[in-house]
Amino acid sequence: MQPSLPSHHPLLGPDTAILAAQQQSASASFFHNQRTNTAHQDANSNAVLAPASGAMPFTVAPPQAHAPFDAGALAFDAAITNAPPGAPNKHTTYPYVTGTSVLAIKYKDGIMMAADTLGAYGATKRYKSISRIVPAAPTTLVGAGGEISDFQYISKLLTELNDNDVIRDDGVVLKPREVFAYLQRVMYNRRNKFDPLWNSLVVGGVDQATGEAFLGTCSMIGVSYTDSHVATGFGNHLARPLFRNEQRDDMTEQEARALLEKALRVCYYRDKNSINKFVIGTVTKESGMKVSEPFSLSTEWGYDAFVHPTKHALGSW
Amino acid sequence: MPHAVSTGTTIVAVEYAGGVVIGADSRVSTGTYISNRASDKITPLSDNAFLLRSGSAADTQLVSDYVRHMVHQHESQLQRPIDVPTVANLVMQIGYNNKNALSAAAMLVAGYDAATRQGHVYAVPIGGTMVRQKYAIDGSGSIFIYGYCDSEYKDDMTREEAESFVAEAIALAMSTDGSSGGVVRLVTVNEDGIFRRLHAGDKSVPRFGEEKDVHKDLTDKANAMQT
Amino acid sequence: MSSVGAGYDLSSTTFSPDGRVFQVEYAQKAVDNSGTVLGLRVRDGVVLAIEKPVISKLAVPGANRRILSADRSVGMAGAGLAADCRMVVNRARGECQNYKHFYGSAMPTEVLAERIASYVHLFTLYWSVRPCGASTLVAGCDQSGGERTPQLYLVEPNGVVQRFYGTALGKARQSAKSEIEKLDLSSMSAKEAVKAAAKIIYQVHDESKDKQFELEMTWIAPETDYEHRRVPADMLAEAEAEAKAAIEAMDE
Repeated sequence: MQPSLPSHHPLLGPDTAILAAQQQSASASFFHNQRTNTAHQDANSNAVLAPASGAMPFTVAPPQAHAPFDAGALAFDAAITNAPPGAPNKHTTYPYVTGTSVLAIKYKDGIMMAADTLGAYGATKRYKSISRIVPAAPTTLVGAGGEISDFQYISKLLTELNDNDVIRDDGVVLKPREVFAYLQRVMYNRRNKFDPLWNSLVVGGVDQATGEAFLGTCSMIGVSYTDSHVATGFGNHLARPLFRNEQRDDMTEQEARALLEKALRVCYYRDKNSINKFVIGTVTKESGMKVSEPFSLSTEWGYDAFVHPTKHALGSW
Repeated sequence: MPHAVSTGTTIVAVEYAGGVVIGADSRVSTGTYISNRASDKITPLSDNAFLLRSGSAADTQLVSDYVRHMVHQHESQLQRPIDVPTVANLVMQIGYNNKNALSAAAMLVAGYDAATRQGHVYAVPIGGTMVRQKYAIDGSGSIFIYGYCDSEYKDDMTREEAESFVAEAIALAMSTDGSSGGVVRLVTVNEDGIFRRLHAGDKSVPRFGEEKDVHKDLTDKANAMQT
Repeated sequence: MSSVGAGYDLSSTTFSPDGRVFQVEYAQKAVDNSGTVLGLRVRDGVVLAIEKPVISKLAVPGANRRILSADRSVGMAGAGLAADCRMVVNRARGECQNYKHFYGSAMPTEVLAERIASYVHLFTLYWSVRPCGASTLVAGCDQSGGERTPQLYLVEPNGVVQRFYGTALGKARQSAKSEIEKLDLSSMSAKEAVKAAAKIIYQVHDESKDKQFELEMTWIAPETDYEHRRVPADMLAEAEAEAKAAIEAMDE
């Protein structure tokens, strides 16, 4: 269902929106994001642009002064798409290239996070070497399911955040909890603009000062919580029941890895948008942050009932 | 819009030892009518990078126009050729920031950087994800050649191997996909420059499966009649 | 200076009859009174050094930095009014971040220096603002074609930007520049340049006029992975010790 949005100024037909974008080109920020465009549109365009009928906007456009090239002006408005006149502005309404589950648990030394490397295009397993677990701060990993382009954008925000810490060089760096709080705000803000970042995020890390492990997850609408084990997507249904039975905060690295591999295997068996190519990331107080090279898991297809499907029952399996 | 002009399309780009080879079919359709049977979907963005366009012709042409404009501005400020990753990033920015307006623009960016002696292939599908790949395919015809490409691709191919890999892939897609067809256009970009190649007509576009022998008979008969 | 006063030195929007803008020249004077700032562009990197007067015995050592980073691999050393320097650096940080966000790669040092110069220049054009009382040295190490090219630029209050192998600003700029001219910069490594820079700062420091100073030094070098970093404490201590020893030897 499309939520209803505040519509344009009644006088402003959808076709005029492109002029609004040009108008603001002199003042818009260098880097455009979708948010500013819609926000400015009503404010800027009423006075000069609104033709009574909403039609033929180009005839009433004032001559454009020469302005330096502005990337912000490159943003077309949603209103110049094929949407019928008066239709509400649409933002992301569904994801295109998607990642599936991210799994993460706390253990004795810190946290361990796992995901496969697939970027699926619908049901097509299209991009098979996508990093969905990335370093966000010196001792913080962020993992993401959902729209990959949005995650690439989020990764860029996190890189900028971290670069700022490096540049200031004052010894202050973001802790996992702070990265989590930041992402909560980003996700919640975007959903309030009805333009969500289509991701489920997992934030995991260790507070360098105290050695305390942190694990949290945040959904595309800003719902978030922290726990000793978290998962996104299918992982919520397939992995977390295993975690509830077997995860302990004091488990060893070997035990933690075995548990994650078990959960990954189940997810791989039952999630059609998954591939047998995984990475595992760890953050520990002792040895910092690591993300493994991609690896695959052994799978089991030798069950008697699999080999002889009609042995125990007639009819099809 | 019942009949938007669409490039239907099969596009392929591959990095090889020393450069990139990119290729496209030439069919543009409006509904079931072929509105252009010899179009060029390989659009230069800079002296050394190309955009392979699939999806809406109007949308992808607009993207290439904007990017060419930005590349010009950027190169005149830097006073050196722009590098391929930056070009790809510009395409991505437009794709990502306008993902709703560009819901039918699936593109590949490929080129060769003389400064780093490095070929680059990027996929920028609908939605504005950007993925660097060793080879990339897109367009309606690409779904028919995933198997072929995964099985035949090798790292560090020679130029000849890479060119036949791309040409064969596109010919295969054209044989199954109604929205792909016409000629096969190839562009090779390497240290020595840009080389365009055209595979057109019965003799140079291979045919497959149950069409194969018909083709052979046809050419044999034609040859027999001539002699 | 015959033209001084005469009513033409109160606004940067009015030329004097002989074609000068006095307010901008006065801004340059603020820079010239600053502690000495040094930039050396050498074979494999760039070194920035600054003679920072200790304003109070209660000041925290290492605080009130005058060399800051604009990007991970761009350093800026400011001479003149500290607050104006900070404003310029903040602008540079914004420029770098915007560029990286849009183009996906680090901003070339030359482009940054030109943008900073344009920014500073704006302050010389309007009656409502005061010219920027700061000169900045912009140091970077651009990656082009797999190679790193060290870069050093000077941006002055009048909006001029210049490219240098080595230069100096502030009180002792003249003697510092003539010391720099004696160095073989194109064959020197960044590691050697750290010592050379320390030596020059100690050499040109006027013991009789100024009290204590703190040597602040940063570098961009293979050792820092071509990122802009403070020279490590032990390396700095060693360079300072060598500089002092060399000067004592010269005095004898």
